[in-house]
Amino acid sequence: MRWRGTLLYIGQRLLLIVFTVLAVSSIVFIGIHRLPGSVFVSERLRASQMQALLHQYGLDRPLWEQYRDFLLGLLHGDLGISYVNQGVRISPLVGREALVSAEVGALALLFTIGLGMLLGVLAAIRQNTWLDYLFTSTAVVGYSMPNFVVATFLLLVFAVFLQRATGGMLYYQIGWTGTFGSLGEISIPAFALGFPYASVVARLTRASMLEVIRQDYIRTARAKGLPEQLVIVRHALRNALIPVITILGPLVIGILTGSVVIENIFGIPGLGKEFVQSILNRDYNIVVGVFTMYAALVGIANLLVDLLYPLVDPRIRY
Amino acid sequence: MGGRPIAITTFIAEPMAQRRAGLWTDAWRRLRRNRLALVAATYLLGLVGVAILAVFWTPYSTTHQGIVLPYQGPTPAHPLGGDSLGRDVLSRLMEGAQISLLVGVGTQVVVLALGVPLGLLAGYFRSWLDAALSLLINIFYGVPDLLVALILIVLLGHSGLGQIIFAIAVTRWMDMARLVRGQAMSLREREFVEAARSCGSGTFKILFRHLLPNALGPIIVQATLGIPQAILFEAFLSFLGLGVQPPTPSWGSMAADGVQAIRISPHIVLAPTIALSVTLMAFNFVGDGLRDALDPRQRR
Amino acid sequence: MSPPLLEVRDLRIRFFTEDGEVRAVEGVSFDLQEGEILGIVGESGCGKSMTALSIMGLVPEPGRVTGGEIRFKGRDLLSMAPDEVRDIRGKDIAMIFQDPLSSLNPVLKTGFQVAEPMLAHQRADKRRALARAVDLLRQVRVPAAEQRARDYPFQLSGGMRQRAMIAMGLANAPSMLIADEPTTALDVTVQAQILDLLRTLNRETRTAIVLITHNLAVVAGLCSRVIVMYAGQIVEEGSVFDLFERPQHPYTWLLLRSVPRLDRTRPERLRSIEGLPPDLIAPPPGCRFHPRCPFRIEPCFTEPPPLQEVGPGQRAACWVTMRRAHEEMGAATLLDVRPGAGSGVHGPIREPHRG
Ligand SMILES: Nc1ncnc2c1ncn2[C@@H]1O[C@H](COP(=O)(O)OP(=O)(O)O)[C@@H](O)[C@H]1O
Ligand SMILES: [Mg+2]
Repeated sequence: MRWRGTLLYIGQRLLLIVFTVLAVSSIVFIGIHRLPGSVFVSERLRASQMQALLHQYGLDRPLWEQYRDFLLGLLHGDLGISYVNQGVRISPLVGREALVSAEVGALALLFTIGLGMLLGVLAAIRQNTWLDYLFTSTAVVGYSMPNFVVATFLLLVFAVFLQRATGGMLYYQIGWTGTFGSLGEISIPAFALGFPYASVVARLTRASMLEVIRQDYIRTARAKGLPEQLVIVRHALRNALIPVITILGPLVIGILTGSVVIENIFGIPGLGKEFVQSILNRDYNIVVGVFTMYAALVGIANLLVDLLYPLVDPRIRY
Repeated sequence: MGGRPIAITTFIAEPMAQRRAGLWTDAWRRLRRNRLALVAATYLLGLVGVAILAVFWTPYSTTHQGIVLPYQGPTPAHPLGGDSLGRDVLSRLMEGAQISLLVGVGTQVVVLALGVPLGLLAGYFRSWLDAALSLLINIFYGVPDLLVALILIVLLGHSGLGQIIFAIAVTRWMDMARLVRGQAMSLREREFVEAARSCGSGTFKILFRHLLPNALGPIIVQATLGIPQAILFEAFLSFLGLGVQPPTPSWGSMAADGVQAIRISPHIVLAPTIALSVTLMAFNFVGDGLRDALDPRQRR
Repeated sequence: MSPPLLEVRDLRIRFFTEDGEVRAVEGVSFDLQEGEILGIVGESGCGKSMTALSIMGLVPEPGRVTGGEIRFKGRDLLSMAPDEVRDIRGKDIAMIFQDPLSSLNPVLKTGFQVAEPMLAHQRADKRRALARAVDLLRQVRVPAAEQRARDYPFQLSGGMRQRAMIAMGLANAPSMLIADEPTTALDVTVQAQILDLLRTLNRETRTAIVLITHNLAVVAGLCSRVIVMYAGQIVEEGSVFDLFERPQHPYTWLLLRSVPRLDRTRPERLRSIEGLPPDLIAPPPGCRFHPRCPFRIEPCFTEPPPLQEVGPGQRAACWVTMRRAHEEMGAATLLDVRPGAGSGVHGPIREPHRG
């Protein structure tokens, strides 16, 4: 019985996600198909060949028919086929890439939250000491650094400097093995992806921690004779976590967005790389597909974040 | 309208105006004490100077190739060296500053022009406009800003500066509208607005003479903090090759070129990335300083 | 007589703020006997909470105890190492606070929070502590205690929360419980129940209680001895009977005049004394009450009055004292009502057993 409300809530949210995904992908689909020219223009084809190609992809039909087919396909999870790599089905491609992006993104999220909360808590319990000042000012530096700048610096250190220092014995090599890469290949991009947000989390954690530490129940915890570490970890941290969860949604979006750049720098075969490549190639079916996938991912990530709330704060129930 | 209500407005409006003036001088005093914000503001002034200078003069051409040897490291004649095509990095950096500032400020102008009136109207009238605005904000909440900007650029048929500014502004004006809407909603209940209304001030006058000046603090802060956001977006887009088109230099595209050559000559990537980071940081410091100065309650 | 459980001597607490040093508590001394219920009353801001918190070693930043001694069972708490004080906290001395909702952690179950003092002092393993927490909740008359133990604080009523706080305080059977305005945040009917509970607990467990309140009616119903504080200092001290019947400090006298009838007790401020408590950064010279005192004489402006015997077991810090005020100045006519007249505070006061 306790779960009925929650299940109902999840159902509603899923419905909303489906609606948003449909709306967003429709807008993009129609917008893109109204653009003059197409992928085939650039290829040196004779008019008759061109016509044949257009016909083969159904691009010579009225827009509303194309849109209807697209919608029907979308409802079955079918995003059509690529124009450039002719005949490649987009759905499995994009699905696999989404997994790769999610893998890197999840690790980045872990870095962000772990590092951010650690620094935030330390700054808060050492408020107004040099440690606090150091962390607070580095936090501004941190969130002023775009992730591709962080990536560049990491590359300079791990790829260039480390190679020179070890005489080429040990260094980071841009690249990706297999479908999901190796731990070394994931962790540096994930760090670059998460670092700018870690400082946001740190700032928020610090503020929230300072707020919580002034609360009456912290005084109560101390009055019980609890050791200070337990007061912080058991009583303060969990309450300080509540506002931090509110930025988890924007954080996931930020990491997803950042992955577009990071995947292109590090050559990670994820959604972001596909997105940019297909835009540059004018492979518009894939552009629509990836964007659809992004909308779905964001919706699901936000839902997961919202489901986290009641676990941390018992006052919240759905 | 008789004499009485007018008497009320003069009675109420004057202290308000005074308090506002006091607020600004207070804010200025607090800002002046904030070393970091002042240093940052000085840097930004310098940057604006450089950007203006770049309109008339750069040490070398920003687009001619082969001025230096490709990948040339720093020399006295070319303090920041040459890029992969043998162009002078310093000159390109200067013009890049111009692009960044244009996009940053230009975007905020569009954001203000869209967000402030819409937010005021929505907050003050709470009508269908408010409902529509909320719906729009809720839909866009589900889609990452940068990706929207990216798609928009594609839909606008690739990019001149105007398209870039427009695409970024489209993703950013809603935050401003939401802020102004909130301010308008809380201010409309306040006595000085009531007084103005009761003595027959027109809606337009109430919105822009009474509500807007009192909401100015948060708006300024948000607009200031929006500039680095927009600069960052432009850098992202150009880094991906979807922003400012070559050969026009942008810090983003310069960084992208530099990453390719990171093993051979790291200076090419360092110049634009450092310039970008420092500039973003400066804007953030100034924005934070303004927030602290204009709204001391919100201080961390 | 056995030595007192707690001896506070010349306690001084200051807050080091940007505007200056706030002298929150200055020269407070008192004793607490085993099993006794001592009341501390005074307007809010007079230093009651800080006095209590200093006993727990919990004076908040930027405050600091700057002088004095706090002897608990003969040992000075102020010169102990932090870990030693922590060991006493929650075990030998427990404290409960004004607002039970904000004083309970919103994200932890009530039963666990009640059990926590036992865990903190290694009195029991987790399972036994939780079981004992249910017993404690039962002892403080929480109905359906097992269920309530599994609830979060926000699911309990105000009275239940304060009962849970009291249960938490009693967890390690302390010899002393400090209750800082335990009923101020509660409804009238619930207030009476909580006070009743405290009285019963004191009788059954012989736990000494320091009851802090700004409500004289609460003191009258519960305490044997009372301390009256004003602006960080003790202005009067005595048995509840003497203090109510023969207040000697004008402040006490004025406080009594402002007490509402017991059956109409509200958590309201004592606002019928004219003027405001002084700024503790620069307190007035002489007697700190003189700016508001209707009976002040010359020395009150310059000389701080010492706390001196004004009757058997009663002391007051006043150059005038109400006895003189009545005789020489006609205090009652001056202010037109006699203390206690029609105030109804006499009801619950009983003649204390003189031992
Ligand atoms: N955080 C603080 N900063 C400065 N002064 C404080 C602070 N907390 C308390 N004080 C001072 O201590 C005095 C006594 O406070 P408190 O003991 O809480 O009063 P009470 O409990 O009697 O209402 C207050 O009047 C105030 O001047
Ligand atoms: Mg208090």
